[in-house]
Order: sequence, then C-alpha cells, then structure tokens
Amino acid sequence: MLEQLPVAFLFFATAIALPLLPKGTLRGTVLLAIPLIAGWQVWSLPAGNLVNVEFFGFTLELMRVDKLSRVFGLIFCLAAFLTNLYAWHIRDTVQQVAALVYAGAAIGALFAGDLITLFIYWEGTAISSVFLIWARRTTAAYYTGMRYLIIQIGSGVILLAGVALMYRDTGSIAFEQMTLGTPATWLIFLSFGIKCAFPLLHNWLQDAYPAATVTGTVILSAFTTKLAVYALARGFAGTEILIYIGAVMTLFPIFFAEIENDLRRVLAYSLNNQLGFMVVGIGIGSEMALNGTAAHAFAHILYKALLFMSVGAVLFRTGTSKASELGGLYRTMPRTAVFCLVGAASISAFPLFSGFVTKSLIVEQTAANHYPIIWGVLVFASAGVLSHSGIKIPFFTFFAHDSGLRPKEAPAHMQLAMGITAALCIMIGVYPAPLYALLPYPIDYDAYTFGHVITQMQLLGFALLAFCFLMRTGIHPPEIRSINLDTDWTYRRFLPKIIDHIYTTVSTFWSRMSALKSRWIKALITKAYHSHGPDGQISQSWPTGAMVIWIAMLLGIILLVSFVS
Amino acid sequence: MDNNKPDNPDSFPPLGRALLWVDKPGSATKIIYALAAVCVALGLLDFAYQKHAEFAVEYLPNFYGFYGFIMFTALILLAKALRFFIKRPENYYGDKAVDSETYPSDQLDKAQNDA
Repeated sequence: MLEQLPVAFLFFATAIALPLLPKGTLRGTVLLAIPLIAGWQVWSLPAGNLVNVEFFGFTLELMRVDKLSRVFGLIFCLAAFLTNLYAWHIRDTVQQVAALVYAGAAIGALFAGDLITLFIYWEGTAISSVFLIWARRTTAAYYTGMRYLIIQIGSGVILLAGVALMYRDTGSIAFEQMTLGTPATWLIFLSFGIKCAFPLLHNWLQDAYPAATVTGTVILSAFTTKLAVYALARGFAGTEILIYIGAVMTLFPIFFAEIENDLRRVLAYSLNNQLGFMVVGIGIGSEMALNGTAAHAFAHILYKALLFMSVGAVLFRTGTSKASELGGLYRTMPRTAVFCLVGAASISAFPLFSGFVTKSLIVEQTAANHYPIIWGVLVFASAGVLSHSGIKIPFFTFFAHDSGLRPKEAPAHMQLAMGITAALCIMIGVYPAPLYALLPYPIDYDAYTFGHVITQMQLLGFALLAFCFLMRTGIHPPEIRSINLDTDWTYRRFLPKIIDHIYTTVSTFWSRMSALKSRWIKALITKAYHSHGPDGQISQSWPTGAMVIWIAMLLGIILLVSFVS
Repeated sequence: MDNNKPDNPDSFPPLGRALLWVDKPGSATKIIYALAAVCVALGLLDFAYQKHAEFAVEYLPNFYGFYGFIMFTALILLAKALRFFIKRPENYYGDKAVDSETYPSDQLDKAQNDA
C-alpha cells in the first residue's frame, strides 16, 4: 500500500492533522514516529517510477526511486527524526507544522522525476522553512525571514523560468542529466546555485540561519542546501565549472568563519565550506566522486546537526551563542561539550570519525583526476575546517577563559538527540561499510590505509600545533562583539542607500518645482488683484455707473440686431 | 546570569569535575607539549612506510604537517587582516538584524546549574 503513497504526503497529512492533537507527549510521539515510518518506507521501496499523476497534460512523476534519491531520502528522514527529538520541548504548533511540511517538501523534491514536481516542492521548502525563522517572533526575525524568503522564492521563480524554456526547447519536463549551454539550463543551474549557496549567492545562509529559533536552525541546516546538492548531482554531474565553484566555496567561508562572533553563524559559514567539497565532487562527476558527494552529504547532515544542536543547547541555557560571551561551560555542561567535540572531530575528519571516511573520497578524486591546485585548496580548506568548526566552536564555548556562566546541563531530550547523532558520527567513522553500501555506485574503498591515517593526522596535528602557537603568542584574533560585512551588505546597505539617494534627489527636485510653480501663480494672482481688485488702479477709474452704461449699450445692440434681422 | 556567586565545584556534574583538570595551572602547557610530541612522532612515522602518492610534493618528508602548520597560520593572519576591513559594530544593521537583539527569553529555559 505504501508504494502508492508518495513519502512527502505522509508528512503533509500529519501536518494537517497535527493541530488537532493535544500538545505534549502524544504530539511529540507522532512527530518522532512519522520520520521513522517514512524512513522505513524509503528503505523498502523498490526502484522505479512508482507514482505518476496527470496534471494539465503533463505526467508528473512523484516517486522516482533510485540509489541516489534513496540515500538522500534516508538521511533526510533520519535528520527529521533527530531534529524532532531535539525539539521535543517545543509547544509551538507553528514550528511543529513548519518542520513537518519542510521535511516533507524536501523529501518530495528528492523523489521528483520531473521538473514541475521539483519546482512545486522547491518552493514548498522555501515557504515552510521561513516559519522556523519567524517563529522567533521578533522584529529582526521578521525582516531576516523576509530577506530569506525573497531569495528562496527567487530561486524557485528562476527554476520555473528555466523549466518553461526547457519545455519550449525540448518538449520534455523530465529531470535528468543536463548540459550547460542553453538559457534554460543556465537558469536551472542558477536556481540550484542559489539554494546551494554558491559564492556571491551564499549570503542568505549566514544571514538567516542564526536568526531562526534554537531548534529551527538545526532543522534548517539539514534540508535546503543538501536538496540543492542532490539536484546538482542529478542534473549537472560532471559539469567542470562546478569544480572551481566548489573550490572557491570551500575556501572563502573559512576566513569569515574565523572572525565571526556568533557561533551559529560560524557554523553557517562552515556549512557553506562543507557544501563546497560536495560541489567539487559533483563537478568531477566520476562514479567515485559522486559516491563521495553522497557519502559526505550523509555524514555532513549528521555532524552539522550535532554542532548546531550543541550550540543551540548552550543558547537555550544561557541566552547567547556569541563566542565573546561564552567560555568555560564544560564545568556544568560537560555532556554537551563532549557531544560538541565529537561533532568537531567528525567535521575536521579525524580518523575514527565520520568526516574522515567521506571527505577523503572527494579529495582523492581531485588528485586521481589531476587537479593539483584544487587538491591543494581542498587540503587547505580541511585545515581551515579544523580551525573554525574543530577548534573555535568547542574551545571558545566550553573551554578557553571562564565566562563565569554556570548553566544547567542541556535537557534530557536534547542530550538524547545529541547522543544518538554523536554515536552515528562515530559508527560511520569506525565502520563505514553500511554507508558505503547505500551509495549510488559500487565502491571499493578503504579509508584506513596507513598512509591516509598518518597524513591526515599530520595535517590536523600540526594545524592544532599552529593554533596553540598562535594562542600563546597572542596572534590569534580575540573574540569580540562585532559583525562582519559580507555580500549581503550590497542589498542591505548599498542598494537601499542608492535607492534612498535617488528618492531624495527626485523628491527634492519635485517639491522645489511645485514650490516654484505655486510661487508663480501666487505672484500672478497678487498682481492681478493689485490691479483689478476692489482697490486696484483699474477699478478705481471705473465708476459703478460705467457698468450700467455698458449693460444699457449691450441691450441696445441686441435690440438693434434683433430688429434688423 | 549571576557571576558573583561563589563557585561551588562540588555542584558540578562528575564529568565536569573530572575535566576541571584542564584549568589547573600548567595543564595547558602539558597538553601543548604532549601535542608537540605526537606531532614529532607523526613526522617521523612518515619514514616508516612506502608512499604511493599522486603528486610529487606529497613525497616530501612530513609534507602534510608543514602544509597544515603554514596554511593554518596563513589563514589566521589573513582572517585577522580581513577583519580590519569588514568589522562593524553589532548594531550596524539596526533592528533589521538579530545581532544586537537579545533572544526572547520566553523561548528559552535559562536554568542555573545549582538551582
């Protein structure tokens, strides 16, 4: 029976029914059960196009199941489960419904076999996810959500334009491998690029994610960008430009992450950097590289969620996620600290942790396909990841100087969610075979060769040593209360300023013109009044009798004319 | 939060008490020396196996170690320089950004450890 039901509909049906359930345990249980049922469904579905619907003469393929969509589908269901567990304490119906619809839309998009279905779900993720930002219910969250929504909807509109052109060119709406070249494919590529946070199109991510609620940020971190990675892997595998885009993506966020004070924004930059690795894998496009992208997305969703969860737990207990205000929290939040360290070790790709067995698939493919500079960039970016996510997040939150804060340990359900996620990170790192078996292509890879372990440990060990050196010498930049400009400055400051300038110029010109006009008219009236008014010169020389004479004359003329005619 | 209350380590969770070791005087130095020793060992291990690498640079002794150290340092220095240009006060974007607002406390559970 489940074969006939698209996985996404399970989430949507629950989202509709959810407000009817009493808040509390029952609702929480449903929120946990649905992703598990969906996950089991994704696991057991056979490959193929399972559900087709006629729609205005188009055949929409709602459930295209193959190995690529399945591995993403599984991790999305798992992420939905873990984030709902983390959000167990939430009693806000808006957030619960938004989380369900968002996860459902993202999973629906994964299984979309055609571009129209993809578009509908693409916009679905945008509209549902913004409520996770607005749920903070502050003025700033409202504006930030608006900026996020405009960009996300914009991505969808560009996708729709691309699909329309594609249909005109080829007569097909199938979502298959594309080649860049036509306006249609470029538009679709751009649309994917916006959601994937390509360089210069990235800033919505760092702007919006830190503005969401404690739990909302964790949920946001899992779906949107990885959906874009999936869409790129499906549509543009082997597109060479992606290698360079991806390399730039791994590189520039590490500088911003290093000097950012809000730790949730540091994690957003770090997320951007990790997406870069995946995009490079898609650009190379070999079977191994695509395996690397899928595996890395899988591992990344877990450790990134874990890091967001641990910083979220700190925010939940202290009211801040700013590095300058935190420090020394290991004393009273030691478990959260340990979970955070597991996430940090995983993203930094320490051996025995998940990043080690997935990122190396991509990095080794850059070497095997002879991209020495890209390889150098990725190895550098790996050291960069260690610097902000591996060191900065745990060190400045839980260690470093003592902030004097003594918050209570995170609530039990948060600890459970973090514990399961941390356990998964270690399990994948220690025993990657089950994950490798899920990947789209057959794989024969051993991450634990002597050389690989040693070289990775050298890279990380010496980078750690550099950190110690920089801290001891005082060269390492201190954490200070500040923000940093990024490309969002263009549309948050520069463009509004230009528009403001144009507005002021035009309105000043206009008001001066109208002032001038009214002055002229006033002067005219005054002048006329002066000469023709009751006291005017002209009226002075006109006796009242003159009027009577003129009327008598007029009467006479009329009489004359009528007599003659 | 109340920062003036006398600190009571006995109220910390056991794991937190165990970790207090890292803040003892000299512990940090010990950790750094241990790390340095591990790094030296890792560098020496480079000679212990036959390398099969793609690029010539990888055959240099402890290439990854030096690359990691130098690039990490370069990253920090460049980021520090970048900060000089792009740093702005927290309220730069006013009430349209979350940076200068406090997180709504009704959505939090700011419990103290010993409360």
